[in-house]
Amino acid sequence: MNGISVDINHLKKGEVNLGTSIMAVKFKDGVILGADSRTTTGSYIANRVTDKLTQIHDTIYCCRSGSAADTQAVADMVKYYLQMYASQLPFDEKPQTKIAANIFQEICYNNKDNLTAGIICAGYDKVNKGTVYSIPIGGSIHQQEYAIAGSGSTFVYGWCNENFKPEMEREECVDFIKTALAEAIKWDGSSGGVIRMVVLTEAGVERLVYYPEDYQK
Amino acid sequence: MPGLSFDNYQRNHFLTTRGYGQPTATSTGTTIVGCKFKGGVVIAADTRATAGPIVADKNCEKLHRLAPKIWCAGAGTAADTEMVTQLIASNLELHSLHQNSQPRVITALTMLKQHLFKYQGHLGAYLIVAGVDPTGAHLLSVQAHGSTDIGQYQSLGSGSLAAMAVLESHWVPDMSKEDAMKLCADAIESGIWNDLGSGSNVDLCVMEVGKDAELYRNHLTPNVRSEKARSYKFARGTTAVLRESIRDILDVEETVITFGSASVDAMEVDA
Amino acid sequence: MTSIGTGYDLSNSVFSPDGRNFQVEYAMKAVENGGTSIGLKCKDGIVLAVEKIINSKLLVAGSNKRIQTIDRHIGVAYSGLLPDGRHFVNRGRDEAQSFKSLYKSAVSVPHLMDRLGIYVQNYTCYNSVRPFGIVAIVGGVDENGPHLYMIEPSGTCWGYTGAATGKGRQTAKSELEKLNFEELTVREAIKVAAKIIDQAHEDNKDKDYELEVTWCSLEETGGKHVHVPEDLLQEAIKLAKEDDDDDDDEEEDDDEEEDQEMET
Repeated sequence: MNGISVDINHLKKGEVNLGTSIMAVKFKDGVILGADSRTTTGSYIANRVTDKLTQIHDTIYCCRSGSAADTQAVADMVKYYLQMYASQLPFDEKPQTKIAANIFQEICYNNKDNLTAGIICAGYDKVNKGTVYSIPIGGSIHQQEYAIAGSGSTFVYGWCNENFKPEMEREECVDFIKTALAEAIKWDGSSGGVIRMVVLTEAGVERLVYYPEDYQK
Repeated sequence: MPGLSFDNYQRNHFLTTRGYGQPTATSTGTTIVGCKFKGGVVIAADTRATAGPIVADKNCEKLHRLAPKIWCAGAGTAADTEMVTQLIASNLELHSLHQNSQPRVITALTMLKQHLFKYQGHLGAYLIVAGVDPTGAHLLSVQAHGSTDIGQYQSLGSGSLAAMAVLESHWVPDMSKEDAMKLCADAIESGIWNDLGSGSNVDLCVMEVGKDAELYRNHLTPNVRSEKARSYKFARGTTAVLRESIRDILDVEETVITFGSASVDAMEVDA
Repeated sequence: MTSIGTGYDLSNSVFSPDGRNFQVEYAMKAVENGGTSIGLKCKDGIVLAVEKIINSKLLVAGSNKRIQTIDRHIGVAYSGLLPDGRHFVNRGRDEAQSFKSLYKSAVSVPHLMDRLGIYVQNYTCYNSVRPFGIVAIVGGVDENGPHLYMIEPSGTCWGYTGAATGKGRQTAKSELEKLNFEELTVREAIKVAAKIIDQAHEDNKDKDYELEVTWCSLEETGGKHVHVPEDLLQEAIKLAKEDDDDDDDEEEDDDEEEDQEMET
């Protein structure tokens, strides 16, 4: 009864949660992002075909985990900032992935008290080719060869660490992500639905979807 | 002492821990759904409004017009869905006037989500937004905290589970308009029968590409109050008159005051 | 610039009937009397140089630097009202920092110039302010190579291969036009710049001057804008003075043919 205690870690009442399995992996020709498709409100699945892979620029995407509202709002802001940035570039140039990742970091850090957002930002640009940045909940930024995040990721840290190879071929990388996410979905109750992927290369954007009967062995 | 007083903060906190929560605003236990079909989209809602355990309104309107061809169904706090919808409708019209083009569903959705996100979930508006615009037919949903979803079919509100069961089992791709209307009406009816917070009638709105939106108010009325088996009116004279007393409680007096002749006493005006 | 303002010259934000903003033109006057500044865009970087007039013997030699740095990779030289120049540089630093704080990468020279152009132009729009009394030459190296810009009190901001402003600008410009910037390296350009500043000083010989030169190049300075090392500066000054003496000889010598013979 004495003193005021506030639990800042739990989601606001009725908030839509992305209990999630997301990842992004660098490979030979660029980068591939992957995510499950489950959105939950408490124990109810609010959306079983969610698209957690959000476009920020032509070949820069992010994977969202945490509060759906927060991550959507942040992604919209970064999208806007990046448009402003891109409009000032020479006409034939596109922003680099690190610019987008750093804007994510800036927003997530400055508003850390009000945000529940774990984001992986990945993209392809001519200068750096495929790059992956992880921006976990406190607003730090980490450039990585591959990144995994969300509640389901805890189940596949070891597997990914054992099986990741730098400079994979495209098919090999798709299999790596598919297997990792299938395991994450299998063990994590808040992850599920289909596996979505986005392949970002010199050639542009390609989307992939895998249904449960495809990825469940 | 001037200023704010926080004397009751700890008391309230204590009461909350003992299970005596703060009073809450009127909430519409609701079933709302939406479904796309070939060349358009349809949304539907029940018509029950509740205030705690009381049915506050048996035939309220939960379908709101954001623009002539963009409609939305609201669940959550009644006042919030109403006001937020009116605000966005107003801003959407100004925006379309400014842009000199038809308002778009994505514009309405963006305005809604940014407004709701700003209020961090304190505006309890859960909406299914649908409509047709120059880019086609769209169906989306917004939650109170500002998150949005997109899909071929949606359901929201306390009856969303019952409605979703119907949608999940009967939805097929590329439905006809009639099939989509039937599916939505069935889903709402499922909410009406199986959810305590939902009831009364089915409202429905169809938005088809290239046509005006059509609102079917009380599309289904499965809860018409049946005629009473007999009249409970008491015939005149059922009760005997024992005594009658009629008295004046107001005295009316009339006094006429006259001033000399009108021509003499006319108001004097400065030359 | 011969006509008189006849009342239209007292305020910014007021055009004269023939469409001129006199305040801006007067600002250029302030620049035209300032010490000469030049900038050269070479194939591998940029060189900035200024003629610093020594107004007092009591000034400490080599102090009171006139060329400043906006960001690690961008430098500015300017002629005109020096305090205006310092304000301009401060604004440039703020812009560069604000860009860096958001995007975590260095601002490109063209983008910084866009922003500064807007800033300077704003001072021509309101009658509560006066335009900048400087012309600034901004040079730097970014991921797209070297850039050189000159920005005027009107806010006009154009890219150049060689730029000159201040009192000796005419002489300097005609010298710059003779150069082949596609082949010139920054190392050579230091000497060229020293020479040009020396020639531009000819008209102002009664006053002594000090030469200040900076450069910015990926190869020579690692992409940083810095003052050139003392030995390079002294060498350049020496060469300039030698040429200077030759020129003096030429002037004294009326017989041109003999002069040519000497060179061959």
